[in-house]
Amino acid sequence: MSNLNLKNISIFIIQVFLASLGASLIIILLGASPYEVISSIFHGAFGRPEKIVKTMLIFLPISLAALALIITFSGGLWNIGIEGQIVLGAIGASWVAKSFLGESALSPYIQLFVGVSMGSAWGLLCGLLKVKFNVHEIFGGLGLYFVGSGAIIYLILGPWSKEGIASTSGTDIFPQESWFPTLTSLNIPALPILIICLIIISIILFLSFSKLGLKLKATGINPGSTNKFQFSSSGYIYLAFMIGGAIAGLAGVFQASVFYHKLVPSISGGYGFLAILVVLASGKRVIPTLLLTLFFSAMISGGSQLQLRLNLHSSLISIILSSIVFFWLVVNSTPIKKNITNLLERGRNASF
Amino acid sequence: MKIKIRNITKRFGSVLANNDIDIEISSKKIHALLGENGAGKSTLVKIISGHYNPDSGEIFINDKKLELGSTSSSLNNGIGILSQDPLDFQNLSIKESFIAGSKKFGENFNEKKIEVEINKAFKKYEIKLSLNQKIRSLSIGERQQIELIRLLFENSKIIILDEPTNGFSLNQRDLVFKMLKTLSSEGYIVILVSHKLDEVFELCQEATILKNGEKIKTIPIPYDRNKIIDLMFQGEQKKVISKNSNKNSNSKGYISINLQEWGFNESKIDQGSKVGVIGLQGSGADQFIRDIFEKKIDIQKFYNDNQSEIPKQDIYYTPSDRLERGLFGELTMNEHVALASKGNKLISWKSINNRSSHLIEEYEIKGNPNILANQLSGGNQQKLQLALIPKSPGLLLLEQPTRGLDVKSTGSVWEKIIERARSDISVIFSTTDIDEVWGQSDWIICFSGEKITNISKKSSLKKDDIKFLISGLESRK
Repeated sequence: MSNLNLKNISIFIIQVFLASLGASLIIILLGASPYEVISSIFHGAFGRPEKIVKTMLIFLPISLAALALIITFSGGLWNIGIEGQIVLGAIGASWVAKSFLGESALSPYIQLFVGVSMGSAWGLLCGLLKVKFNVHEIFGGLGLYFVGSGAIIYLILGPWSKEGIASTSGTDIFPQESWFPTLTSLNIPALPILIICLIIISIILFLSFSKLGLKLKATGINPGSTNKFQFSSSGYIYLAFMIGGAIAGLAGVFQASVFYHKLVPSISGGYGFLAILVVLASGKRVIPTLLLTLFFSAMISGGSQLQLRLNLHSSLISIILSSIVFFWLVVNSTPIKKNITNLLERGRNASF
Repeated sequence: MKIKIRNITKRFGSVLANNDIDIEISSKKIHALLGENGAGKSTLVKIISGHYNPDSGEIFINDKKLELGSTSSSLNNGIGILSQDPLDFQNLSIKESFIAGSKKFGENFNEKKIEVEINKAFKKYEIKLSLNQKIRSLSIGERQQIELIRLLFENSKIIILDEPTNGFSLNQRDLVFKMLKTLSSEGYIVILVSHKLDEVFELCQEATILKNGEKIKTIPIPYDRNKIIDLMFQGEQKKVISKNSNKNSNSKGYISINLQEWGFNESKIDQGSKVGVIGLQGSGADQFIRDIFEKKIDIQKFYNDNQSEIPKQDIYYTPSDRLERGLFGELTMNEHVALASKGNKLISWKSINNRSSHLIEEYEIKGNPNILANQLSGGNQQKLQLALIPKSPGLLLLEQPTRGLDVKSTGSVWEKIIERARSDISVIFSTTDIDEVWGQSDWIICFSGEKITNISKKSSLKKDDIKFLISGLESRK
């Protein structure tokens, strides 16, 4: 935990510099100026209060997905099925919103309960497949994701279709009572922000200070030794999937009831897969993951400005984003990091 | 043929791993590099193989200077290393592994010709294996034999064995040693790196003793064993393995192991006794220990004629493959201590850190509370396993507790076991070493293959009987 020394900070700064250099090169190749791209993204993401709220709405689900993944990665599990767990959370929320409960003032809270439970159950199912039937979590997770996204299309075109017309643009807008309460005219999603803060604190406590979290980490490193310490690795695999699925389900609830106010086919927005990248790039640590998520959310949120301000197609943002991730993974790789460390040491020796 | 090592010095940070080492080795005598863990043997071997570049010094092969710090130069000059864990391809057959792993056959190979060549070598060195067998299905000893043949195909003339016999059965060791003796007589240089005196005596004609990175002496073998131990552990208090001084004679408690399945009657084993389970490598001895831990073998505890089960939380177990089944390689010592602590409360890292520091001192573990388990040496990993066992009395199940440890680490590990055994319900340990089982046990169980061939008090057994009991030979004459 004493990683925050001068040397590590310098290494980090050099890494950021190198990654930006690589990404700038790509932006120049795409025919734009890196400075203008970055400044217009920044304005698009944080320029006005309502833009900050919009960025926040993107940050919420991605950071939840990322936190869910930190839990499952700690248990050594590749929870590729996270998208499916987000989808199930969204279906759960929509189910409540579309039912007679949708017009009750309690609807958002019932949605939270149902969505989180369904996400958690979907995660647990993946864990059961792994432990009981020896199905690797990558296959199980992908399979369950396909089932989930099939279900969403069926629901949107079938039982929950818009009145008179079935369209892939989604269901009808939920009744007002099913929206999450917001603050001020800016519609700040206070409750989701509060929930996410609590989750962040709990996860940090869980992973750093609880015996349960330590046992989960131990299971991830070497399930073979858990027996000797008189606990069962399968129990912790279930636990990781249940917690991870629950948090991912929460992301789904927010997507349906805070962001879209309806169920749409691509309700997860690919945020689960994006979160996998974010978590891996931040070394599976909570704070760096949140910072990187914020950065990505800003890029996505501000990216829509590119077309307006610079006449660049907005899809270029994903190319720029992925190139940043790519360059980051390269500069964060062991050989490059080692070279930077060596260079720094040589520089220091030379200066004395 | 001759290899001359001249004034080799290698420093890692503040540690002087090799200090001005000077050795001359000829092909006529099999040479041993002897020393405790950390004496500098492995560093020297890695310098010879070109993996490390020494800070100063030279190596000559037949008076030709070797380019140092280059593995390809070492390979081209006929230096071949047989390492502790065979570096082979588990998924290939023997034949495929030769084709893939040997330059001898080049890119355009003829399978039939290769088969003939390999078979010729197998015949010469009495290796009875079929070329289509998968490497995975072989024992470690057989894999090492194949590695040796592969080294010969690479034109290795100087063969260095880095503690190759860990995990060998007696029989396998004999086969490999026989092959090495033949090679030596044919003019190859054979160097054995070891900390096991027995095998050095069996195989070698001379030995160089290293300690703390320095050469102590080169001696002819045979040589007085006690003097060798003195040289290896010079200036340190020698730890003598105590022999059964801890017998708890006034205890009224005993345990009973149910071995009816194997055709043995009930044995009443006094509380606090040590039960040694011996068998050759690969016998059922280790499995026996695991079966007790998993409660597949019934053990009852009696105290003042009250019979009771031993509760699961009082059964403590340390496996022999420490990093696979005993510890978590990427967790720190502190994290292990926290895992082994009772309760499921929040962890106070400060008190855990104090506890770790205390255990480090008590068990003489070389490391700090934040060291990862995979950064500890084998001996220290074993001590950590012992340190993590709760202090409260229990049934201690130790699977090969001294596997791969040098004399000194073995001594201090046993010291720790003996210290607590007196108050424990019982200690049951497995081993492949007759001296160890004889020196440490009150009761001895012998395994031949999967079968138990004997269970008795040590006093009703002769040491010489054990080798017959574990090799499955009926006659003990």
